[in-house]
Amino acid sequence: MLKKIEQGKLSELVTALIDQGPLYAPVRDDRGVNFQSIRSPLAVTLDFYNSVLSPKAVFFPQSEDLISYRLGRGEPTAKTTPLPTAQTILLGVRPPDAYSFFLMDELFLGSGIVDPYWQSRRDLTVVIGYPFINQTPDAVDFYSSLGISATDTRGSDIFLIKKNGELLFKGLTEKGNALLAKQAALFTEATGDDEQYYLAALAQGAAIVTRNLDCDPKRTASKLENLFADTAFWEQMAAACISCGTCTFVCPTCHCFDIADENIFRDGARRRFWDACMFTDFTLEASGHNPRSRVYQRLRQKVCHKYSYYIRNFGVISCVGCGRCTRSCPVNIDIFTIIAEAMKK
Amino acid sequence: MTAFKEIEKKLIQQAKELLERGEVAQVIAYGRGYDDQHPMPYVAKTVADADNLVFNEFCTFNLVGYLMRCPPGIKVAIVVKGADSRAVVQLIQEAKLRREDLVLLGIPASGMVDQKTGKIIDAQTTGGQINPVLCDYLLGEEKYGRTESPYQVLKPLEVMGKDDRWQFWQNELSRCLRCFACRKACPMCYCDPCFMDQSRPRWADKSPTAEGSIMYHLTRFYHLAGRCIDCGNCSRSCPVDIPLYLFHKKLAQDCEEMFGQAAGMRIEDKPVMVDFRVEDTDEMLK
Amino acid sequence: MDFEPKILGIACNWCTYTGADLAGTTRLKYPQNLRMVRVMCSSRINPSFVFRAFQLGADGVLIGGCHPGDCHYGTGNMYARRRLAITKKILEFAGLEPGRFRVEWISASEGNRFAEVVTEFTAAVKGLGPQTKLKVSHDG
Repeated sequence: MLKKIEQGKLSELVTALIDQGPLYAPVRDDRGVNFQSIRSPLAVTLDFYNSVLSPKAVFFPQSEDLISYRLGRGEPTAKTTPLPTAQTILLGVRPPDAYSFFLMDELFLGSGIVDPYWQSRRDLTVVIGYPFINQTPDAVDFYSSLGISATDTRGSDIFLIKKNGELLFKGLTEKGNALLAKQAALFTEATGDDEQYYLAALAQGAAIVTRNLDCDPKRTASKLENLFADTAFWEQMAAACISCGTCTFVCPTCHCFDIADENIFRDGARRRFWDACMFTDFTLEASGHNPRSRVYQRLRQKVCHKYSYYIRNFGVISCVGCGRCTRSCPVNIDIFTIIAEAMKK
Repeated sequence: MTAFKEIEKKLIQQAKELLERGEVAQVIAYGRGYDDQHPMPYVAKTVADADNLVFNEFCTFNLVGYLMRCPPGIKVAIVVKGADSRAVVQLIQEAKLRREDLVLLGIPASGMVDQKTGKIIDAQTTGGQINPVLCDYLLGEEKYGRTESPYQVLKPLEVMGKDDRWQFWQNELSRCLRCFACRKACPMCYCDPCFMDQSRPRWADKSPTAEGSIMYHLTRFYHLAGRCIDCGNCSRSCPVDIPLYLFHKKLAQDCEEMFGQAAGMRIEDKPVMVDFRVEDTDEMLK
Repeated sequence: MDFEPKILGIACNWCTYTGADLAGTTRLKYPQNLRMVRVMCSSRINPSFVFRAFQLGADGVLIGGCHPGDCHYGTGNMYARRRLAITKKILEFAGLEPGRFRVEWISASEGNRFAEVVTEFTAAVKGLGPQTKLKVSHDG
């Protein structure tokens, strides 16, 4: 189904939605745009290209308590943190990011063990995608090369499109349509004209093409496997890398995590939190040996994980060409360039 | 030809000469990134490589940290702007670099532009040091004249009441993702292991708790006291734009006032925090 | 309920700690709020100890060492003076109340002075109320 509201009524819509459950949407401050849990309806912005950090934190929070405990005198007590139950809405996700949720589903749901935290959040969340329609793609984006279109519906339950002072909401999945039906009072019915506009806009957006990268999954995986021992190549690619972890943390598909028991005095929690293979001590062993002690080894791992190992495990490249790593890298390393160079060898 | 283009030309020529006569094993400078506005640190090892060198207003990253990867005894050349040269001096003071291993290609760079914001980089977000304090070859014209104080920008925070200031820092530092770009970008952060990587004692949780971030940053501010040369690498590298430079500047100002010395100015200096003078008094504790 | 501040004291073995002992043996009265940690020299003190103490709930931190010039190890407290001065500046710029952190040079024979300083510092910290800025609190 297709519904709409006047653009000026967005804050009213948001107010009604946050009344019923958590809503994550893009918010702009003087640093840029990022997804936040909305408390003030006026905070939501739809005037942006993409967020600095990916929206993956909605399903995979940077820090998550699994078990909370209290130590000390008497019996220690522990409480498993209950899984979330609140119906959640994630609004304003660009198609490459929405597709990243699909990619991560492969791992968190489809690898033999189901991650209950990821699963419950995915089940509870309606994703309102915000396709690129007439934006010129950012120079560093390359999602087209990965088979992702600017209007890709994969990962979105509803599509949101601007139309002359109005906002159109198109239900794409059962979940999306169910939300639109449930909240019918907040929307007005779309007209035939709106339907036409929607289809035309989608066609316009689908024509957007980013810079192009030769990265057929099988060929890329093969090529990177053959390049593994080419130390000189990887040292050259990693020459500028300072081995921070910024790329990992802004990336929609990076998902490494660590688990630790953390407490102040007696109260603590067993916590899961983001880790990064780029960190110097990521593979540091208790003996003191570090199999990836050199920067080039860690960069090679990062690139091969996305463009080689993930393909061997799940058949798909674990990258959506969103360009965030490149934009946030303090020294401007561009994964596109690395793959392009690799494919040339 | 613009000033930057002239510097670039001189840089390429000088690099070629040094590599040709085998005086250095490599030249650490900048190369083109994915576009002209985003140069990357680049290492030229052959004369042919030197053709890839660039220098423009976006070559803001302080390269001195890469020297810590070079084994001693091997001579390398490196491009240093004003603050970068101070980093070299500071590291020589700390015996992490040897003067004889370095050929410093000094660039008096003014009009540098922040890649993220497009704004001119000046003494508000860096030390405002234009002319290198130490170099072997000068690739541009030094600039003289009144420059604004690098501590001017601290005024609003200094006059803010302590409670407002606390709120300011709480808001800023709790946004930290613990990506550690600041630490890795800083030429002075060479400790292995870093206190944050130690589990005994565990100074801060691994997860990005607000208190852990505060412990991390307050301690790092302390570790950089009297050593920070105000290059701005840390602040520019931060993906969430925490204004780390404000705190580093405050401590640099305090060190100058209390100990009469600025970081990285003269090779023969001793870093202020591993030194004391008979002139020191208890006034500093008040 | 009257607020009783938790004060962490870090004292060097040779001077301040001995001075504190002297206060004890001469039966001088001073408030019980101070929890004392002994270090061999004030230069052992890592500023992170101070940040940590405040995070763990200390309302005040009092550092005691030998008078500069009288350090048992010669010059330890000369380095400590600079370190602790910077520590103080950090805490102030971060916005913590300045009265919560103090450094005093108290020699082994200054039992009286030790008692005076602790009494005065405790009263001052009491006046500032509980320290909430750096203190880490967890709900339940």
